[in-house]
Amino acid sequence: MKFNDLFAGLVFLGLAALVATASWHLPNPSQQPLGPSAFPLILSGLLALCAAILGLNGARAFDRGPMLALADWARSPVALLKLTLVPAAVLFYLWFSEALGFLITAPLILVVLFMAGGVRPGLALPLSLLAAIAMHSIFYLGLGVQLPWGPLEPIRW
Amino acid sequence: MLDAYVTALGMVLDPYVLAVITASAIYGLVVGCIPGLSATMATALLVPLTFFMPPVPAIAAIVTTSTMAIFSGDIPGCLLRIPGTPASAAYVDDSYQMTLRGEPELALGIGLWFSVLGGLFGTAVMMAASPAIADFALGFGSVEFFWIVMLGLGGAVFIGSSTPLKACIALLIGLMISLVGMNNPAGQPRFTFDSTEMLGGVSLIPMMVGMFACSEVMRHMISDGSAPQIVIKKMGPIFANMWRLTKQYPWQLIRGSALGTVVGIQPGSGADMAAWMSYAMSKRFSKTPEKFGTGHPEGLIEAGASNNSSLAGAWIPALVFGIPGDSITAIAIGVLMMKNMAPGPTIFVNNPENVYALFLVFVIANLLMLPLGWAIIKVASRVLQVPRRILMPIILLFAIVGSYAINNSLFDVGLMLAFGALAFVLEENGFPVAPVILGVVLGPLLEEYFINSMIKSDGSLIGLVNRPIAAVLAAVTVGIIAWTIIASLRAPKDPARPMPQDL
Repeated sequence: MKFNDLFAGLVFLGLAALVATASWHLPNPSQQPLGPSAFPLILSGLLALCAAILGLNGARAFDRGPMLALADWARSPVALLKLTLVPAAVLFYLWFSEALGFLITAPLILVVLFMAGGVRPGLALPLSLLAAIAMHSIFYLGLGVQLPWGPLEPIRW
Repeated sequence: MLDAYVTALGMVLDPYVLAVITASAIYGLVVGCIPGLSATMATALLVPLTFFMPPVPAIAAIVTTSTMAIFSGDIPGCLLRIPGTPASAAYVDDSYQMTLRGEPELALGIGLWFSVLGGLFGTAVMMAASPAIADFALGFGSVEFFWIVMLGLGGAVFIGSSTPLKACIALLIGLMISLVGMNNPAGQPRFTFDSTEMLGGVSLIPMMVGMFACSEVMRHMISDGSAPQIVIKKMGPIFANMWRLTKQYPWQLIRGSALGTVVGIQPGSGADMAAWMSYAMSKRFSKTPEKFGTGHPEGLIEAGASNNSSLAGAWIPALVFGIPGDSITAIAIGVLMMKNMAPGPTIFVNNPENVYALFLVFVIANLLMLPLGWAIIKVASRVLQVPRRILMPIILLFAIVGSYAINNSLFDVGLMLAFGALAFVLEENGFPVAPVILGVVLGPLLEEYFINSMIKSDGSLIGLVNRPIAAVLAAVTVGIIAWTIIASLRAPKDPARPMPQDL
């Protein structure tokens, strides 16, 4: 998914403006000649300059290419769905790992991702359990990381 | 110095450290061998584990993994014509032709043997040069360090990238990310959005794991992910012809190692650029340039030695000035800072035994590469067939848990995802990701040196250039930037040269 550089330039120009406005009024308690706003302002100035050049280059190429060039994968609903699975899996972990515990959340995530990749269910199920338990052992037993247990609290080891 | 080396040897020969080295070596070899998993990703995934280790094994794990992964990237390049890491891309045609000719053991033997020699050469230069440079740099003030950081960043953006403008934007994004938190000369909270988690700044580990592992998983999801087909059945003796080739091509070996080390030292250009340049140089000086690309050992020897020697070379500016030469050393610097071993000339005074231990790890890792590399070549055809549709979900889970493990914080997991998505979108649009990491790692230092220099000179910009060394560094930095701008204005239709995107 490739945007025209004009679009990217505008986005970064906006970012530069945001950073500049947010840092303009930073307090300077020690009254130094250059306070905490100096460096962010220089950076936003440079970013604005680069973004403007990028945007102008993009505008010049405007008639030669489309505004948004879709790569092959972006036209395929299956690929898009598989791509969305990655953030979905992380968000699922964010929202449910405390309630469900690691040993339930992790195999669930793995089994969905395995099967989305075309692994047979007969292999995906045991594999996701095994991988989750192995990872749990590394981090919980090996490194002492407090992974959540959720409803499995009674069998905590 | 000898005392410090003896202490260092004791630290490295500790059974725990040796076990870490061996485990990371096997890990690096396997990951580097699997196409689509880069050396940078291998290193980034390891960082959460190093968080729980003492300094010496932590840094040993990083050094060993990256050294091994750069070599084993040659394996899929040779057997499948898919370079395992970008550093192997330069000579993939030659090595694949050898495989088609039925001599995969010759191509892989050259990759292994000359990687080891190149790596040892780079290590020797690093051991000899960095204490001396550090000694010289002890007299540097904030102005000199400001220009060294500028030179490092300028080199990364303007030399190490094929799209300087986009690399520059990527760098500025990284520098802006580094603004978050209270870690600035005035100690003011900036861009924290009133969140306590952001006061300490953006945590490096979730960010690196996100940018190099999570984004890789996303890219895998949109690829077809089919398993590669292997053409070879069995391997002959791997080291059979190596001594003969060493005697036949000594100059290629030395030239490759030397150029690789120099390219590595130059901030911003890593193993992949070293390999491309050495391959080109080998062809230029060869008596039989027409044989290049047809399965000729000469370029393979020179470039194979070059990419491994550059790895050690990159550590010289990293250790002496804290300037990473590529993303792997940027990750390593993050680990050193985490372990309260912030690199810089004083590290040679305060912690010499730790630095010497690092040198020794390089030597051990390169020597260990001979037996372990031999073993991985023997089982390579099986490792290559490990399906990525099984590996990638496990890598994603590892990235989640690894980010969580540092602070037991789900916030960091969200951060990991955000940076993974950012890296994915940036790369899809042709922005290199490595400058972002360089910016985040170097941002606080750059600001500190800049503000301190300006305070010393009462806010006058002349203060940045009125000391001789600072003036020279400034001239070189400005020269590099000006040269790139002039060159791009002169030849706007320059055909894309093969350049490292994943430095």
